[in-house]
Amino acid sequence: MAITRQEIEHIAVLARLDSTGGIFDRLAEDMQGIVGMVDKLQELQLDNIDDVIDTERKNAFHEDVPVTVFTPDQLIAPNAPTFEAGGVSVPRVVE
Amino acid sequence: MELMSRTAAELSQMLADKEISAVELAQAALDKTAAVDGKVGAYITVAGEQALAAAKAVDEKRAAGEQLPALAGVPIAIKDNICTKGLLTTCASKILYNFVPPYNATVMEKLAASSAVITGKCNMDEFAMGSSCENSAMKNTLNPHGLGHVPGGSSGGSAAVVAAGEVPLSLGSDTGGSIRQPASFCGVVGLKPTYGAVSRYGLIAFASSLDQIGPFARTIEDAAMLMDAVTGYDPAHDSTSVQTPFEGSLRANLNADMKGLRIGLPKEYFGAGISDEVRQSVLASAETYKALGAEVFEISLPLVEYALPIYYILSSAEASSNLARFDGVKYGFRAEGCDELLDIYVKSRSQGFGHEVQRRIMLGTYVLSSGYYDAYYKKARAAQRKIRAEFAGAFEKCDVILTPVAPTTAYEIGSRTTNPLEMYAGDICTVSINIAGLPALVQPCGFDADKLPIGMQLIGPRFGEQKLMNAGLAFEQASGLRNIIAPL
Amino acid sequence: MKYEAVIGLEVHAELSTKSKIYCSCPAKFGAGINRNTCPVCTGMPGALPVLNRQVVHYAAKMGLATGCTINQVCKADRKNYFYPDLPKAYQISQFDVPICENGEVYFYVDGEKKCCRLERIHFEEDAGKLLHEEIDGTVVDFNRCGVPLIEMVTRPDLRSSAEAKEFLETIKTTLSYLDICDCKMEEGSIRCDINVSIRPWGSAELGTRVEMKNVNTFSGAVRAIDYEVKRQIDLVEAGGTVQQETRRWDDVKMKNTVMRTKEDAQDYRYFPDPDLIAVEIDDAWLERIRSEIPELPVSRYERYLNEYGMTAMEARQLSDSFAKATMLDEAAASGRVKPKAAANWILSDISKYLNDTEKNLEDTALTADKLVDLISLIDSGTISGNAGKKVLVQLFETDETAEQIVERLGLRQVSDESAILAIVQDVLAKNEKAVSDFKAGKNVTGFLVGQCMKASKGQGNPQMINKLIATELAKL
Repeated sequence: MAITRQEIEHIAVLARLDSTGGIFDRLAEDMQGIVGMVDKLQELQLDNIDDVIDTERKNAFHEDVPVTVFTPDQLIAPNAPTFEAGGVSVPRVVE
Repeated sequence: MELMSRTAAELSQMLADKEISAVELAQAALDKTAAVDGKVGAYITVAGEQALAAAKAVDEKRAAGEQLPALAGVPIAIKDNICTKGLLTTCASKILYNFVPPYNATVMEKLAASSAVITGKCNMDEFAMGSSCENSAMKNTLNPHGLGHVPGGSSGGSAAVVAAGEVPLSLGSDTGGSIRQPASFCGVVGLKPTYGAVSRYGLIAFASSLDQIGPFARTIEDAAMLMDAVTGYDPAHDSTSVQTPFEGSLRANLNADMKGLRIGLPKEYFGAGISDEVRQSVLASAETYKALGAEVFEISLPLVEYALPIYYILSSAEASSNLARFDGVKYGFRAEGCDELLDIYVKSRSQGFGHEVQRRIMLGTYVLSSGYYDAYYKKARAAQRKIRAEFAGAFEKCDVILTPVAPTTAYEIGSRTTNPLEMYAGDICTVSINIAGLPALVQPCGFDADKLPIGMQLIGPRFGEQKLMNAGLAFEQASGLRNIIAPL
Repeated sequence: MKYEAVIGLEVHAELSTKSKIYCSCPAKFGAGINRNTCPVCTGMPGALPVLNRQVVHYAAKMGLATGCTINQVCKADRKNYFYPDLPKAYQISQFDVPICENGEVYFYVDGEKKCCRLERIHFEEDAGKLLHEEIDGTVVDFNRCGVPLIEMVTRPDLRSSAEAKEFLETIKTTLSYLDICDCKMEEGSIRCDINVSIRPWGSAELGTRVEMKNVNTFSGAVRAIDYEVKRQIDLVEAGGTVQQETRRWDDVKMKNTVMRTKEDAQDYRYFPDPDLIAVEIDDAWLERIRSEIPELPVSRYERYLNEYGMTAMEARQLSDSFAKATMLDEAAASGRVKPKAAANWILSDISKYLNDTEKNLEDTALTADKLVDLISLIDSGTISGNAGKKVLVQLFETDETAEQIVERLGLRQVSDESAILAIVQDVLAKNEKAVSDFKAGKNVTGFLVGQCMKASKGQGNPQMINKLIATELAKL
């Protein structure tokens, strides 16, 4: 399956990557080659490709007991690019 | 004998016998780093002060008569994708250039409980994507055995730091060969454990279903010692963690008796792509095993032909999702001058991720996207089940499988950076093991004409770590290829 | 032309677990910004999810209560999209194998029984909240991230806003019967997205559907549906066609606006979450869940109508509250009181007390046994009905039995005939005017009863006083 430039640009939008500029041209070119490589899988004949749930291991749970370990000042503030009013801040988001 | 030339087991004994103090040892490790790491470039962050403080605490405990674990006071370096509380953890990426984790990975908690001394964080390919360390946004790491050559990757720093004698032990991570290939290139021992044997909690994910943390060392015994410390069921933090039969007892149960061990040589791993020097060296190792009483015979694993596409589809799909959280909002790099949320996302990610990471995110997004999921992701999962079955079938016939690790020895810096596909092709011998969730051990088995190390790979069945370590020990004893420190 | 509305709902309910779905942070509402967070629910690099066992239990419970098939082996999938309230940039949800499928919810609209099929119920994590008031920009509060939700997706079986409302009420009542959701609408415990299409009356084909988001109350759902149905009819009548799109409901402006058109439909790239393993509910676990499910509201409603002879309003009021219905059923099961008598107490004095004090029945000291004792004391004439009301107030607040309260407050009725007779004779002797009025043909019974009650300090049995006044007056 060859991938078109338009598809590559759409993928970049989904992945929130910049799809403009010269760097993207190189990325798009590389993508053609990489998709060609993974397309080798299409040669493999399989009887059944249905998704099956891997049940070799089942039921890893935590019990319903609440625990508080961190304060926002320890957890979020030290790494936040901008931290205001107790949380990470971003430019106003209009829904 | 120079302190840093000793194995972890020897150092552990010397510490226990109070021949040396942990502070002396930590200082020796830091001195060695000061002397050689300028050339090798194994570390992103050297944690000198913390290491000395930790060593001092170990000495105090020992002076107080506390019984301490084997690793107490032993210097260990950590790959920079493992979260270390309070210590910079970058994944060798601009997007995490300033990230200081507020919590410890489970392996770090375990090492702390073992009173190990953490010397710093090692260079790697950005987000563990790559096979040469050249995808690091921080620096290049050079192969201590030949400074014009790559150390391998992605855990190149962790391999090089041990090979250079800066520390006896380090931790790396392996998603498609990221422990084994650099171990091979740097002439050290590296173990990729059975999937689930080591908790992934705090390992910054590349491909969750394939990632495993594992040890680097210069001897089998040392690798067993570090593995014993970091393995363990972690139900509170990692749902994919498992209870293993060998938990904490690999070193104690080492046994080099090879009589009757059945070793399979899969013909597909010795084909045209493999250099003659590598092929001959690994086949010579097979002869060594025969001489030790093992049965060696050819087997076939035909699906290996599809391992690369399966691996690149599955790992990139997971990576595209795992790396979506790096969006410039919560931590790490945020691009300058963004007035809108979408700008923060797109600019931070495009400026923060390197090319290889962006390629993988693009591929992964593509194979999961509407209309392509069935042909790529779903089919790769089905093929993964086939590969698992194929290995399971092989292990009915043999105890371990012996193969090369990489088609060649360490190549020259910059020689494979133009075409990503050339780099990917180097993963051919390692990726199927992650796809199958199996353990594999790499250790040196010779040198090429340029005196660059050649490694061999022993693959075991699920939870076959003890078998692998035993076989590794037998070869190490027979060949004398152990505790190799690069002449720098 | 006449049109029919076709409505389907996606209802999200927050489960009332103590901890979050994939970490152990408290799931409580109302903490300070980011107080209930950890590396897992804030999407820190390297953090991993571990599923809360109770979430599986609760989700399966709702499935069983709505007649769903339980997929005893299911899994979690990632739904990928970027938004600041979603710190991992994916939501852990369920995609192709939800925990519950193919259920049915029954409810009454204007006395007629209806059914709305459920396509599925799955569990997932809630997103955080974006706060716009605190600063000039937007602050991200991750407290709600990882609060467990179940999403219930209906088939397009609803035909009017009234049906949608009754369906939602039934879901809410069922959740509260199962005790798996606190159902606090004002805290956003239950939210819904609404799919609306129209078609010519009698047509079997489905029209193009419009999805409406941001509906936060059931009455808002009614307004949003009525608005959208009218909008679509007006559009079609004017020669237009309905576009497949997502619209945002504004309950203040009472209108909706386009959020997303079909063209910019999201591609969520669902795939199984590799950080999690399969969930299996074995038969024993499933039976344990089944055994915890009480008789459900619609069944009780029907029983109260048919067996207890209540009005639809009474049956509804009682069956709407698990605590009230259970008190009624336990009282009736005692065999010592008439169900209707217990129902009357619950609907009148008990409900009034709960309303006035803003308490829940289960948070008071009143039990069905105590209510039965109280009614029995009245039935036997030990206390008067008025005294009973005084006893009830005490029953809510103390651990005493009805008998103990009667004694403590001295409310026991005097039913000793000779004692009452003495009072009556004394009252007649002291009220000559009343006696002469009686002889003049006036009705003075009420006045005399009142005087006797006063003289007995309210403890005289009123029926007996009545009877003795009549016989004494007759003697004159």
